[in-house]
Amino acid sequence: MGKGKTDISRRNFLKRSALLSAGGLAAPYLSRQSFAATRDRVTIFHSSVADSINPYNHSSSPIYGNWQHVMEPLIELDYDKKDYVGVLAESWQFQGNKWSFKLRKGIKFHNGAPLTSKDVTFSIEKMRDEKGGSLQAPNFKDVTEIQTPDDQTVIFVTKQPLAIFLDRLENRFILSKVAGDKFGDKLYENPIGTGPYKFVSYQRGGNMVFTRNDDYWGGKAAIKEVIFKKVTEEAARLAALESGQADFVNNIPVHEVARLQKHPRVRVDQVEGLRMFFLAFNMTHKPWDNKLVRQAANYSVDAPAIVKNIFDGIGYPCNGPVGANVIGADSKLKRYPYDPQKAKQLLAQAGFPNGCDIQLYYSAGRYPKDREVCQVVAAQMVKGGFRVELISQEWALFWDKQGVNGGRLPFYYIGRGSLTDADTLYDQYFRTGTTKRTNYSNPDLDKLVEEQQKTDVQKKRVAILQQAGKFIMDEALFIPLYNLADIYGVARNVVWKKRPDEKVLGWDMKIK
Amino acid sequence: MSWLRYFKVLVGGAILLLLCVCGVAAPLLAPRDPQAQTLEDRLRPPRWTENGSAAYFLGTDNLGRDMLSRIIYGSRISLMVGAATVIFAGFVGCSLGAIAGYFGRAADDVVSKISEIFLAFPFLLIAIAIMAFLGQGVGNLIMALMLSRWVQYCRVVRGEVLSLKERDFVTAAKALGGRDFYVLFRHVMPNTFASVTVIATFGMAIVIITEASLSFLGLGVPVHIPTWGSMLSEGRSYINRAPWLTIFPGLAIFITVFGINLLGDGLRDIFDPKLRRQR
Repeated sequence: MGKGKTDISRRNFLKRSALLSAGGLAAPYLSRQSFAATRDRVTIFHSSVADSINPYNHSSSPIYGNWQHVMEPLIELDYDKKDYVGVLAESWQFQGNKWSFKLRKGIKFHNGAPLTSKDVTFSIEKMRDEKGGSLQAPNFKDVTEIQTPDDQTVIFVTKQPLAIFLDRLENRFILSKVAGDKFGDKLYENPIGTGPYKFVSYQRGGNMVFTRNDDYWGGKAAIKEVIFKKVTEEAARLAALESGQADFVNNIPVHEVARLQKHPRVRVDQVEGLRMFFLAFNMTHKPWDNKLVRQAANYSVDAPAIVKNIFDGIGYPCNGPVGANVIGADSKLKRYPYDPQKAKQLLAQAGFPNGCDIQLYYSAGRYPKDREVCQVVAAQMVKGGFRVELISQEWALFWDKQGVNGGRLPFYYIGRGSLTDADTLYDQYFRTGTTKRTNYSNPDLDKLVEEQQKTDVQKKRVAILQQAGKFIMDEALFIPLYNLADIYGVARNVVWKKRPDEKVLGWDMKIK
Repeated sequence: MSWLRYFKVLVGGAILLLLCVCGVAAPLLAPRDPQAQTLEDRLRPPRWTENGSAAYFLGTDNLGRDMLSRIIYGSRISLMVGAATVIFAGFVGCSLGAIAGYFGRAADDVVSKISEIFLAFPFLLIAIAIMAFLGQGVGNLIMALMLSRWVQYCRVVRGEVLSLKERDFVTAAKALGGRDFYVLFRHVMPNTFASVTVIATFGMAIVIITEASLSFLGLGVPVHIPTWGSMLSEGRSYINRAPWLTIFPGLAIFITVFGINLLGDGLRDIFDPKLRRQR
C-alpha cells in the first residue's frame, strides 16, 4: 500500500473523524435553535389550513383563524365576556328588521385606503358570490338590502326581525374595495385587509405566510412572522413539534398527552372544544329518506363507547341534538340508546330484512382520530344490520360543491365548529334551503326555526329551540355524537391565550 | 457441499411456502376474525409481556383487533397481489418481449419505445398515479402494479430470445416446417423460463413492498381489508405507546421479502451456467 496523494495519514484521519463526530453530535442542537419560536417567527403545523386562495371558499373555524390575520370582521364573540365585541364596528343597534352598525374611525387597509362602508358592501357582495366560489353566502340569506347612508354607517335590512344576526355576521371578513377595483379578477391573490398581519404568500397544500402589519390600528403584534403549514398526519405533527420544527401543533392524540407533558421543550394545552361531532344524513339519498332506517342507524351507534375507548374518556357525549352547554340544549332529551337488536328490527320493518347497504364518507386527518372513529362506527352499524362501505376523501373534495355542500354525500362524519347556539346547527343543516348539507325540508321545523330567530327574549327563544330539538330527535334527522377536547402541543417559550373555537392566532402569542 | 447450493432455495422456499399456507388457510389458522373490534381490549401488548392477555398472542391494535389474525390475513393480500401481478405482468411482459425479440424490426421498435416510456418513470410513481386515478380496490391495485412491473420481463425475455433464435435447434425446427409462432412459443420460450423465474421471485418481493407502500399512503386496498402496509400506517401514531402495532407487520414484510429474495438468489445460482451469458 503506497502512500499516494490520496492516502490519508493516521493523524489526519483521526483529526477529521473527531471533527466530524463533534459536528454530528452538535448538529441536532444547532438546528433546534434555528427553528425555535422567536420574536421574529412562529411556525404552526395544523391539520386544517386554507385549501384555496379565495378567502370565502370555506366555512371552517380554523381557516377563519388563518384569514383573520389579514382581514377582520365587524364583530366578534368574546369567550370570556360571553358576548359580542366590536372589531371594525364601534357600536350597533337592532330595531325592527334593521341592524345598523357604526364603523370605527381611522382604520386603514394595508394599502393605505381608509375603511368605509363601501368596503363592507363590496366584501359582502363577494361573500354572496356562490358562482365565484364563496361558501359563506347562506349567512346573508335573510338580508334583503344593505344601506350605506354614509362612510361610517352600514344598515342591514332583513325580511323579518332577525335577533341572531350577530351570529351570522361573525367571521365575515372585510376586503378592500380599492384593491378590488385595482386587481379585478386577481383580487384574491392580493388579499388586502385591515388585520394585524399582511399577506405574504399562499401555496397549494395549505402553506401560508403572514408578516406583521406595523401600522395596525389595534397595536403592533409581538411576533413578526407567522407561518402556517397544513399537516394532516398526526404522527407527523407530533414529530415536528418534538424536533423543534414546529412551535405549535393541533390535535395531539390523547394517548400522547402523558408523555408530552414530561417533554423538556413542549407543553400540552387542553381546551373544552366547541365543536360538536355528528353523523349527518342527506335525506334525498335513499335509504335515509326513511325515518325507520334513520332511527335504526341511531340505535346502532354507541357514542359513549367511542368517547371512552378512542378518546380515553376525554370527551362529552351529546344527550340530545346539541351538547349540554349550547344555548337551546334540553336536559330532558335523551339520545337513542345503543340497541343493535332494535336496529335490526327497525330495518326489517323498513323493508330491509337482510340488511341495508350504505356508504359512510369522511375526510381522513381532518378531525382527531376520524379514521378510527369511522371504522368503529362502521363496525357498530354492521352489528345493527347495515353493510357499510367507508370512503375517505380530501377535505376540499369532501366539503365543497362536489361533496357535502352540493348535497352529494348521503351519509358522512362531520364536526360543526364554534357551536354555541343550537340555532346555528338547526338553520344550517335542517332549515329548508339554507344549505344542501342534508337537503331536509319540513315547513313545521322551518316555522320553529324562524320564530326563534325573531324572538328577542332569551327564555322564549330557548323554549322554541328545545321544541325544535325534540322534533329533530323524534324524526332522527341525524346522529349526534360528542364534543371533544381540543388538545394543542405548544413550545414552552410560546405564551398563548387558549381559545375554544379552534382558531390559532399569531397576535395572541408572545415569546417568553 | 452441494447442499449449500440448495440451502438458499430451501430456506427461501420454506418461507414462501409458509406465506402460501397462511394465505390459503387463513380462516383455519387465525384465532379470531381480523376485523372484530373489541374496544375494551384495545392496545393490549403481546402475550408474553406484563399486561398481555392469553387471548391475544401478539396483542391488539388501536381498535381492539387481534394482531396475529390480522397478520395472517394480511398475508392473503400480499400473496394474492404478489402472485397476480407476477402472473399478469409476466404474461404481458414475456409475450411482448418474445415477439419483439423474435420478429425484430417494426415489432421490436414499437415494443421498445413503449417499454422505454414506462421505464422513464420510477415504478412507485406510476403505481401512485394509477391508484389515485382509478381509486382504491384490489383489482385496481393489481392493475397499477402490473403496469409498473411488466417492462422488466419484456426486456429480459427480448434479450434471451434475440440470442436463442440464432441457435441450431431453432433452425432445425424451422427446417422441419414449423411456423413462426409455433417455433417461438413451443421451442424458444421454454428456454427463457430460467431467467423469468428468477425475475418473478425478485419481482414478487418488490410488489409486496410496493403494495405495503401504497397501503401506507392510503392508496392501496380499502380500509376493511387488513394488509401489512396499512397496519404499519395505522400503527404510526402509536409508535411510542404501542410499538407492537408496527413491529409485527414490519417483521412480516421483512421476513417475507427476505425469504423471497433468498429463493430468487438460490434459483439464480442453480441456473448459473445458463445465466452467466446474460451478465
